[in-house]
Amino acid sequence: MTVRMGFVIITSRCIDCDACMVACRAENDVPIGKTRNWVKSSGVQGEFPKVKEVFQPGNCMHCEHPPCVSVCPTGASQKRADGIVIVENSKCIGCKYCITACPYDARFANPETGKADKCTFCLQRLEQGLKPACVQTCLGKSRHAGDLNDPESVVAKLIAKYPSRQLLTYVGTGPNIYYIDEVVPEIPEGK
Amino acid sequence: MAKIFTWNQLFSRRQFIKGAAGTVLGASAGLGLLAPGKTFAGSSSSIPADSAESRGIKKVTTICEQCVWRCGVIARVENGVVKKLEGNPDHPNNVGKLCPRGNAGIETLYSPDRIKFPLIRAGARGSGLWRRASWDEALTYTAGQMKKIKDKYGAKAMMFNSTDNLSQPLFEILLKAYGTPNYGTQRSLCFNAMTTGFYYTYGVPQPGTDYKNCKYMIFAGRNLAEGISNNETQEMIEMIARGTKVVVLDPRFSKTASKATEWLPVRPGTDSAFFLAILNVIIQEKLYNQDFITTYTQGFDDLVQEVKEYTPEWAEKKCEIPGATIERIAREFAAAAPAAIAHPNWRTSNFKNSFQTERAIAVLNALIGNWAKPGGLIPDQEINTAKLGVLSHPPFPPAQGMRLDGVPWQYPLVPLSYGVIQTMRDNILTGKPYEAKGWLISRQNPILSIPERQKTINAFMKLDFVAVIDIQASDTAYYADVILPESSYLERYDGLVPIGDKIFIRQPVIEPLYDTKSSLMIYKELADKLGLGDFLPYKDERDLLAKQLKPYPISLDELEKAGHYVVPNFQKDYSKDFEFQTSSGKIELSSSIMAQMGKKAVPTWDEPPRPSQGHYYLLTGKTAQHSQMFTQNNRWLLEVFSENRAWLHTSVAAKLGVKTDDKVILESDVGKVTIKAQVTEGIRPDCIFMVGGFGHVSKGLRSAYKLGASDSALHKTVTDPLSGGSALSETFVTVSKA
Repeated sequence: MTVRMGFVIITSRCIDCDACMVACRAENDVPIGKTRNWVKSSGVQGEFPKVKEVFQPGNCMHCEHPPCVSVCPTGASQKRADGIVIVENSKCIGCKYCITACPYDARFANPETGKADKCTFCLQRLEQGLKPACVQTCLGKSRHAGDLNDPESVVAKLIAKYPSRQLLTYVGTGPNIYYIDEVVPEIPEGK
Repeated sequence: MAKIFTWNQLFSRRQFIKGAAGTVLGASAGLGLLAPGKTFAGSSSSIPADSAESRGIKKVTTICEQCVWRCGVIARVENGVVKKLEGNPDHPNNVGKLCPRGNAGIETLYSPDRIKFPLIRAGARGSGLWRRASWDEALTYTAGQMKKIKDKYGAKAMMFNSTDNLSQPLFEILLKAYGTPNYGTQRSLCFNAMTTGFYYTYGVPQPGTDYKNCKYMIFAGRNLAEGISNNETQEMIEMIARGTKVVVLDPRFSKTASKATEWLPVRPGTDSAFFLAILNVIIQEKLYNQDFITTYTQGFDDLVQEVKEYTPEWAEKKCEIPGATIERIAREFAAAAPAAIAHPNWRTSNFKNSFQTERAIAVLNALIGNWAKPGGLIPDQEINTAKLGVLSHPPFPPAQGMRLDGVPWQYPLVPLSYGVIQTMRDNILTGKPYEAKGWLISRQNPILSIPERQKTINAFMKLDFVAVIDIQASDTAYYADVILPESSYLERYDGLVPIGDKIFIRQPVIEPLYDTKSSLMIYKELADKLGLGDFLPYKDERDLLAKQLKPYPISLDELEKAGHYVVPNFQKDYSKDFEFQTSSGKIELSSSIMAQMGKKAVPTWDEPPRPSQGHYYLLTGKTAQHSQMFTQNNRWLLEVFSENRAWLHTSVAAKLGVKTDDKVILESDVGKVTIKAQVTEGIRPDCIFMVGGFGHVSKGLRSAYKLGASDSALHKTVTDPLSGGSALSETFVTVSKA
């Protein structure tokens, strides 16, 4: 089966500390004022004292049908064979079509390079057998990454065991971040 | 005549700004210090070392200092530039993970606002006018002033302050050699109530907590999701995921509360009513561990008498938590015993009665007998920590004179090593029992930390001499006469750190970028200039570390390479777990020392003040993205937490006509600030909350200057006479639209 790289994010384990955002900035030299990933909060919902708040980390969804790729006039935005969506800088002309096209607001114009910029799945780390920086540093083991098609991967095992959801499925992008909101007592062993 | 600079001029001088990565201070600086071959972390590192050397990449294992938790770090250095910090999987304090602050250590290192060379004040104190000095001049000047003060007024007129850093033991040697009794930590602003409460109950100031096996946890002041203590935060998340019942008492819906099973928005200052009522139920219903109480405690009968009146119905009126809820929690807690913990916390509600709260918590744990049991409290690990080699030095001169901070003459229960820093500040101003003249402050920021900021600034203005050691122009450094710039934690050595059977090292990841020194060498060279060199008998940092490592068959080179050393066949000794270091040798439900002082010896209710009409409780606390007053100038962290806001309940905001991000004015008896509002349902309507540490007054912190507002500008100085703890929450404020 083909490789399909993606993320599983367990929201019940996120404490909104934002270590993932800072780790990404360091690993990928993300300029101040921009970010490749995020932690969104539901805000405090309900009425005092019956309230709740949920945190939802995210980044590029590395979609099955990425609109950023189809709108790119130069072929700079690409979906690799392993499913990772990247920007080939040498081909990017900075037209920003892809930034507008992304329904997840996962891209930005890098003020230093003038190119479209986004989560690369930390390719430079994957090549060394390391996890993406955001996953590596996550205190709550909320973030997981791997081959969704490999039944031996942590991400596939999590999806098999717990109900999961994706964001904005109705726009037809086929996002490859799966969210688990349930309590996950133990992270399975796996690749 | 030396040239005089303002802060902005100092920082804009191009030659002192870090060269573009790898040019000015590039490859030679980074690689020159430690040959690449010996700097790789052990094989257990999460970062493979493969052919990194050939690409100018090396990895160095060291210890974080973005807060005081001392996590293990593996730094990736490329051509002399630190590119990435990652958690050391072998370090128990963080097991491979770094929090946002730890990840942002690179920005602390490369901040354009680092102090790059010694500075001597060249205008009025606090004017921000400085001239550059050589190290020799700065140290000679500092030592000269310190000698002058000692000769004229005695050593006691000099105060020495430092907070929880790895080289603090050496700082303590310096101050003892100098001969002053005046030593200021900042503990009284933090958790004096907890440490004294537990100390006078168990003889242990800060027992551990076994999160891994705990089945029922009550937090009343340990917000681990926002006050991150890395491994404990991880353990808390796992504990919650495992299904442990977690009850959080907090007037504010903290992020820890959002993850908990149950949030109880307790009225500020009344946590002890809740715990006294829990004690009442557990005793009434005989849910306690009789054998444990008989064997290990004293004073149970007195406790039974005292808590009789503290019924859940009584407590409900005080703390506004329903009596039925208190009863249920008492029963659930006892049913989970001994794998149940009423957490010792750090700060609880920060009232004068917090000592009583902590005593009630300490006693509650004792009643269910969770001491040294799986899922319960863990006895002090002091005896189970590897011992370092010690330096021999001449006997210290006797420290003469009473302490300015009132310990023990005003605060007999407060240990000397904790102190009461806010009283030290007050007595600089009163001149009682004698006039203070000089202050040496290492990595501490009293101007922003002590309540009543203006009073603290006034105290600085009164002194003859102030010297500050820091990496950046903290508010306190800004008001100094001389700044001795410390190398950042990624550029220096500190004293070795034993944890259990392991010994860890902080070592330079790159050579210092600027003309800075380690604290170890600043203390040492200052001692030399004071004629006290014999007390700090080492040539340089590596000489000291080699001496600390002497008891073990490993060289410093090997330790640097491996990042830590495991003491072989280290036998943990649990035989003293039940030898309580109290007056009676037992867990003191009824405290002998309190009785001797003529105070009520068992935990008791002490009615806290409450705000009058139109006033609100002012609460302060932490955010996960910043450390105390230290990181607000870190631009990477400002990206994830940009400034503090005043949390207002929706109903309060509606009354004022205020929306989130509108500015409001908070005013207390001692100060007034303007701050953006954050409107939320997640706070009691009688409270206003703000994260501490913002509102810097130093123009040398160019990103943080005037960002947000300072809680210390509002806080009144209120001190618990028993623990010396600063009762920060006994400050009430009015709020109006700006």
